Amino acid sequence: MERIVQILLITAAVLMIIQGFLHRRKHEKDHSHSSFGHKHDGSVFSIDFYAYASRLRTWSPKYKAVFSMVCLLCCIICDNIYVSCAVILLMAYITVVMGGLPFRRYLSLMTIPLVFLFFGCVAIAIGFSGSPSGDFNLHLGFFYVYTSKESLWETLELITKALGAVSSMYMLTLSTPASEIIAVLRGIHMPKLLVELMNMIYRYIFLLMDTQCRMKNAAVSRLGYCDFKTSCVSFGQIASNLLVVSLKKGNAYYHALEARCYDGELRFLEEEKTVSAMQTAGALLSVSLLLCIWRLTV
Amino acid sequence: MTKKQKKLIVFITSLCGMFAIVPAANAMHIMEGFLPVSYCVIWGLICVPFLVIGFMHVDKQVKENRQTMMLLALTGAFVFVLSSLKIPSVTGSCSHMTGTGLGAILFGPCVTSILGLIVLIFQAILLAHGGVTTLGANCFSMAIAGPLVSFVLYQLLSKTGVNRKVNVFVAAFAGDLFTYCVTSVQLAMAHPSPTGGFGYALIKYLGVFAPTQIPLAVIEGLLTVVIVIGLETYAQDELKKVGFLKKGVQN
Repeated sequence: MERIVQILLITAAVLMIIQGFLHRRKHEKDHSHSSFGHKHDGSVFSIDFYAYASRLRTWSPKYKAVFSMVCLLCCIICDNIYVSCAVILLMAYITVVMGGLPFRRYLSLMTIPLVFLFFGCVAIAIGFSGSPSGDFNLHLGFFYVYTSKESLWETLELITKALGAVSSMYMLTLSTPASEIIAVLRGIHMPKLLVELMNMIYRYIFLLMDTQCRMKNAAVSRLGYCDFKTSCVSFGQIASNLLVVSLKKGNAYYHALEARCYDGELRFLEEEKTVSAMQTAGALLSVSLLLCIWRLTV
Repeated sequence: MTKKQKKLIVFITSLCGMFAIVPAANAMHIMEGFLPVSYCVIWGLICVPFLVIGFMHVDKQVKENRQTMMLLALTGAFVFVLSSLKIPSVTGSCSHMTGTGLGAILFGPCVTSILGLIVLIFQAILLAHGGVTTLGANCFSMAIAGPLVSFVLYQLLSKTGVNRKVNVFVAAFAGDLFTYCVTSVQLAMAHPSPTGGFGYALIKYLGVFAPTQIPLAVIEGLLTVVIVIGLETYAQDELKKVGFLKKGVQN
């Protein structure tokens, strides 16, 4: 049975890659592709940007949240390498092909958690001891660095599990703007104070980021980042200045809200998005597929 | 020098070089899916009492004066922005502050726990640092344990009359370091070594993260000092409002 599941998963991957290539050829002229890897400059909020641009924005946020959480839990609870691979493929398909996110951007977003994954897995896969006690040993003078087939396999399982979980989370965050996710949290009766704070913080993040960007440009153009010591001082001064400015603005924002009858609750107009029968069927089908794979390979 | 020693030196140099190049992008957020379900639930439950205390504290303040809400929102956004900024580093790698040490020193551990929770949710949604299932574990290490240590140390040291800058540095540094230790403990508990068990896994995790986290903690401490100096110089009034300079510390 395991063989069949392996073959099916590989076929699905190949089909997706082929479709991805065809898709890319069609769109090649409109895009300029940046190099591989996640760049932090200027694209701090790239996830937010893609969430607004996604074709899946018309789907109901509640539906997307429930679906991605169910897949995420499947991935973690089943703890099975085939289920994890299936989740990775399924979520990549939904986000890239159905959501219209450029594949390269998706890959570069996937590199964000890679650093943690690398360190976390090195600690699991590798051991140190005085004698060669694993399947693969590396003699380093005083001690051996060793690893065994089981621990390598365990690490591989962990990597796929973590990537599966991350990709189901990406399915949600790359198709749903934060304000809609906050609305979902309000829907599950998170305390009003927290929801309110989240809404305000979400708005202020962008205002502060903008202010910070201008302050930093001003500092850079006056040689504020010429060496390490200077850049530490400039960074600290910008940060403290940012807090001062934002606290000063707080009063003005409060009066502006008071003038518009703020009574402790911000109410936003939420678009009504319904779940179609097709979407429900799709979600049920995918989840049962995942469970099938799990049953077949346990 | 024997051949063996030469080899060892080459190996250590290359290892250090590797650590220097690897970007330490918020390496201490446990990523989505890295913990088994039981640990996600346990750490979430451990956080609950702290968060409830923090929530009640914040709720009371907001009920007394609704303007506090605005202040909280702005400081929350500030902590988020601070933690998403690239800090200056020697090797040109990409690393970030946690900003929670500063939060604990300025606003106390109650407020920081609530703001930290929200900041962590936004980091998961907007930056893909951390995750939903590991929110409990991350929340405990970054929004509760670290800030608590910073706060307690800051209070203790300010009673003994240590130089204020040293005090701020020590508090922020220790808070960051404690966060890193707690995260290592969490990882070691979830993935103990099959041969040596929990203790062995803990040593491995501490060792693996040390080359990035210890310099980062030093930088975080230095930056926090610079920020506090800046705030003391320019924002006496605002700081009084958030309760930092309550006890007349203009010495």
